[in-house]
Amino acid sequence: MIKTAGLVKKYGRVAALQGLDLEVPTGAVYGFIGQNGAGKTTTLRILAGLLMPDEGWAELAGRNVVRDPRGVRQVVGYMPDFFGVYDDLRVGEYMLFYASAHGIRGAAAHKLRDDLLELVELGSKREAFVDTLSRGMQQRLCLARSLIHDPAVLLLDEPASGLDPLARVEMREILRELCRMGKTIIISSHILSELADLCTHVGMIREGRLLRQGPLNEMLAGDRVRRFIMRCIGPEEGAAGLIGGWPGAVVSNTGHGQVEFSLTGDAAEAAALLKEIVSVGTQVTHFAQTEQSLEDTFIQLAREVNGA
Amino acid sequence: MSNTTGKNKGGGFLAGLRNGLSPMLNKEMRSRTRGWRSPVLLTVYLGLMSVGAVGFVWLNMAQGSTINPQMGLSFYGILVFGLVLLLSFIAPAVAASSISGERERRTYDLLLSTGASLTGIVLGKWLASVAYLLFLVLAALPLLALVFLFGGVPPSTMLMAVLVCLLTGLGYGALGLCLSAVLKRSQAATIVSLVLVFLLIFGTPIAAGIAASNINNNGYAPEYYGAEVQQPGVPWYLFMSPLSALTDAMPGAGEVGMGRGVPLISSIMNELMRQFQPRMNYEYAMKASVSSSAIRGASGPTTGGVDTVKKPGLMASWPYWARFALHQGILVIVSLLVAIAAITPRKPWHIWRARKNASGA
Repeated sequence: MIKTAGLVKKYGRVAALQGLDLEVPTGAVYGFIGQNGAGKTTTLRILAGLLMPDEGWAELAGRNVVRDPRGVRQVVGYMPDFFGVYDDLRVGEYMLFYASAHGIRGAAAHKLRDDLLELVELGSKREAFVDTLSRGMQQRLCLARSLIHDPAVLLLDEPASGLDPLARVEMREILRELCRMGKTIIISSHILSELADLCTHVGMIREGRLLRQGPLNEMLAGDRVRRFIMRCIGPEEGAAGLIGGWPGAVVSNTGHGQVEFSLTGDAAEAAALLKEIVSVGTQVTHFAQTEQSLEDTFIQLAREVNGA
Repeated sequence: MSNTTGKNKGGGFLAGLRNGLSPMLNKEMRSRTRGWRSPVLLTVYLGLMSVGAVGFVWLNMAQGSTINPQMGLSFYGILVFGLVLLLSFIAPAVAASSISGERERRTYDLLLSTGASLTGIVLGKWLASVAYLLFLVLAALPLLALVFLFGGVPPSTMLMAVLVCLLTGLGYGALGLCLSAVLKRSQAATIVSLVLVFLLIFGTPIAAGIAASNINNNGYAPEYYGAEVQQPGVPWYLFMSPLSALTDAMPGAGEVGMGRGVPLISSIMNELMRQFQPRMNYEYAMKASVSSSAIRGASGPTTGGVDTVKKPGLMASWPYWARFALHQGILVIVSLLVAIAAITPRKPWHIWRARKNASGA
């Protein structure tokens, strides 16, 4: 459905993208993870046909963003991270404006307006002026706007940014509904825990390069790097030193009889390490693998890249 | 939610144009009638015109109880002059925030990601500002109609004045729109467009006047009787100023001739245009009679003259307003094309690079 190869984009001397290769299957909810300035927004703007790459190519539903930007706009719904509204329009008029800009007019446009406003739970606000809506409502309105032409692909840049917890939950519910409708969605976000709840696939980007991508469960379960927590009676320094010297293990935190570390390898490797810790006389009371989160995976990958 | 994508979305240039024009015009007109700016602008605009008109009448009536026959013409001249000047500055100011305003409001990306073509968006924005200017011109018509109280101005001349106003708005509005697309910030676009318009209105006649005085001072008369005379005519850039076209919108002003009584503004126009008729000056000095048609555009060899005059260019026979219309037309086309080029994400070099990559692959 969405494929990019060797995307390069430079702003003056700054390279925002340095050969980005993405692959998003049809119907996937793709979480696009990266730090500020990693190149997420640039990628989404290129995919939306709003920015042209310096090198490489990108295709959405078989339409090339450089050769056929108009075709791309027909299949893409884009919601930028920061957006404005026409404050002198009413909510209903706002929707009709974008419907008309997509070539949808008359009764079809009115029906779409009503359906979409209901979907984002703004049906009762149809006659309100857009600038009177709360931030969360404006986000939902912008999402409804991006759906007005029934696009196959949705590009959502930080859709939950600036929202309060309740508005985030509402936004997440709407996105789940869109998943059920079969849309292919790319969501960029800093709030990785939210992506883990929602996404089927994840791509991690750093300094314009893709670190890793794939199905979410594979990214989490198949990760070679596991995080562990060990507690013992008495001082933990000895155990921490032993762990630190173990091949593939990196101690991240120590104190209060507790050692947190990551270990590269399978369960047998962890068992061997535990046996060694016990064999030197450490009284271990707790040794467990902590649940791997997207955040952990991203941080580990970032550290690996930094180490490399 | 029904899927109407296939049915309603048209492909091609015309569909994109319509997707831009129709919603843009609709939204802009709606927005302009809702905000506080429009009534304020209209009030200031009509207020200035009214103050000028009342002030003029009051000053003239204060001089005596009789009404000078020339008063109607002078009144009309001042009104038209003021109207054109006001529209000249309002047009770019109105259009200068049209595209940069979308950027500042952060609605620009949303607009570009729709099915509206860039041409449609730019044309829609431009026509919306033109429609607003048309509204301003129409709003000033009752004020212009006061001229009929005094008489002396034929309706055709008044229609010509309205035409000049509209042409002024079309051209300078497009210029403002272009700067709005290029300069990104509304404030910068407004300032630059106002400065440019000022230069176009007043700078071009001044430059042309300086050029003409140089020609006159350097001796325009033939060295010997019967020698070939090369007449420069009116410089082309003078017609970028609406003042040039006003000569056609003032009664008597187009008929440049010595001693013709044309009041106030018309006299200024006369003097201005006469500067570019050196031949007439020369012949006037030679006490030769000059036909009105020969003067206009410095065209045609004189029937009574003995010196041979080179034939002027095609445009020389055009009336001033037509030449002004041509220049405004060119300004509109160039400005809109530049605006489209400025906002397109896909620059020519992107297309070239894509083709190159495709051919290489």
